Amino acid sequence: MPSTIINGVEIELDEDGFMIDPDLWNEDVARALAASEGIDELTEDHWKIINYLRDYFKQYHIAPMVRKLCKETGCSLKYIYDLFPSGPAKGACKLAGLPKPTGCV
Amino acid sequence: MPEYKGMVQPVRATPEEMRKIHIEPVPDEQKPQKALEYLDQIRKKFRSFVMAMESCTKCGQCAENCHTYLGTRDPNNIPTNRAELIRKIYKRYFTLEGRWFGKLVGAEDISLDVIEQWYSYFYQCSQCRRCAHVCPFGIDTCEVTFIGRQILHWLGITPKLHASVGAAMEKVGNHTGLPKPGIVDTLEFMSEEIMDEFGVEVEFPVDKPDSDIMYIPSSADFLLNPYTLMGAGMFFTYIGANWTIPSTVTEAGNFGLLFDQYWTQRGNVMRLLNAAQELGVKKIVWGECGHGWRAAKMYIPSLADRPVRWPITHIHDEIADLIRKNELKLDPSKNSKPVTLHDPCNYVRACGLNENMRTIIRAVTTDFREMTPHGADNFCCGGGSAILFDDPEMYQRRILLSKKKAEQVRATGVGKNGDGILCAPCSICKAQLYPMVEEHELGVEVKGLVDLVGKALVWK
Ligand code: SF4
Ligand code: SF4
Ligand code: SF4
Repeated sequence: MPSTIINGVEIELDEDGFMIDPDLWNEDVARALAASEGIDELTEDHWKIINYLRDYFKQYHIAPMVRKLCKETGCSLKYIYDLFPSGPAKGACKLAGLPKPTGCV
Repeated sequence: MPEYKGMVQPVRATPEEMRKIHIEPVPDEQKPQKALEYLDQIRKKFRSFVMAMESCTKCGQCAENCHTYLGTRDPNNIPTNRAELIRKIYKRYFTLEGRWFGKLVGAEDISLDVIEQWYSYFYQCSQCRRCAHVCPFGIDTCEVTFIGRQILHWLGITPKLHASVGAAMEKVGNHTGLPKPGIVDTLEFMSEEIMDEFGVEVEFPVDKPDSDIMYIPSSADFLLNPYTLMGAGMFFTYIGANWTIPSTVTEAGNFGLLFDQYWTQRGNVMRLLNAAQELGVKKIVWGECGHGWRAAKMYIPSLADRPVRWPITHIHDEIADLIRKNELKLDPSKNSKPVTLHDPCNYVRACGLNENMRTIIRAVTTDFREMTPHGADNFCCGGGSAILFDDPEMYQRRILLSKKKAEQVRATGVGKNGDGILCAPCSICKAQLYPMVEEHELGVEVKGLVDLVGKALVWK
């Protein structure tokens, strides 16, 4: 199982680079995951999306509908792809420490 | 593990993930022997399989009719050659000539390499049945793929994607792991969206007792396909139905069909029957999901452990029926962009939903153009049986597997001005085509069919 050490804590990742234990998430982990996705710097808009996803996940234990994510953050899907090149599910959710979405997605 | 001796393979579930779905992975050194045992068990049960093993004449008809061969030109993706990966083992151990003459008659000893070949090529087949449709002997390579995947599963070899879906089905009753609060929140959001866009009040009742209709949406609709959910809610509201969505089985799909037709597939069927009984419904209506509708229509009767007391219909059946009776007021000019229809293989070649899709699409759009070929002759989108793998090697394969479909869409001309619609009323087709229409630059947006109905409804 791949893993990475961040601030002295070992973070386990699955084959696709998603966190195994979302409770270990912190902003430094997000930055490290961003680097693995080829994102140089996390801007205010990146954080807005990451924080929305985290809050939603805390409450509902699932990622929000993509349309709701766009609406609530005021970011178009295209803009989300600009921010997170692998998209809302495989990019943004990964940085927010959510599990990889499964099913027909 | 993206590759094995030059063959692409999907990432596989870890032993721990396999145990979650009740499979104890067989150690490598025992795999060949166990594979033979399972094959022997299965061949004694399924005549369709034995026929595929015994009666192929190698006429070659199926080759140019499989989109996986057309897209990859990999000889092992020719349907008869795909089946040959098991046939050579079947011959070696279960036929006289194979036992006596071995390689001379195309028989081969079982080995780990053969099992790895199975994993690569049975997970490139989309179980679309186009080969069965053209085979003069009626050989259905899809059935061979089913059995190949079942044996692999029992050996402990299942793609991570399929295994994690199996675990989610057992845990919460749907593929995406949606718990009830998430279901309710999304549906409330859908009500708001409908109010904003269409100005009508639509409620999505969840677990409402004494409902007449239990609607089974695809769980992917909750993440990716808002208009499919909205369209269904608007349709049921429009006709004044007393309906509900069950939170215990918010899933039209059944991945069991695709990798484990025993425990996994049956588990989802039981959840469905329990929900229907608890909610006291009179009828079950299925949402847009190709393999799921096939699993529901063709398999529930034989998998159920008790009498099935409810009629089960597809939402397209319901809509088409009312269109024919002139009971829906529809304004096709609400969908005036050029549109073509991708026939989900499972609908047209595995459970008879063909004309109804056309009845609907003609009633709700103004510029409908058929693909060539279409209906029962269609080609798969390349994602069928949920081979929606996204590791880089398999993703590249998906682009090749959708090449034939891309050519077909392009030939209709719907995307010429960049504003076409590709209607693909199946969650797997949608998930495959959302990225593929970009990869092939088709100039179309992917939509469900219920999506278009929702937009065309004329409210009093
Ligand atoms: S069409 Fe049928 S008989 Fe001919 S090669 Fe294919 S599977 Fe064999
Ligand atoms: S079921 Fe479809 S993908 Fe599989 S071998 Fe037949 S034509 Fe090819
Ligand atoms: S994914 Fe869609 S096109 Fe392809 S097999 Fe299913 S229903 Fe067929």
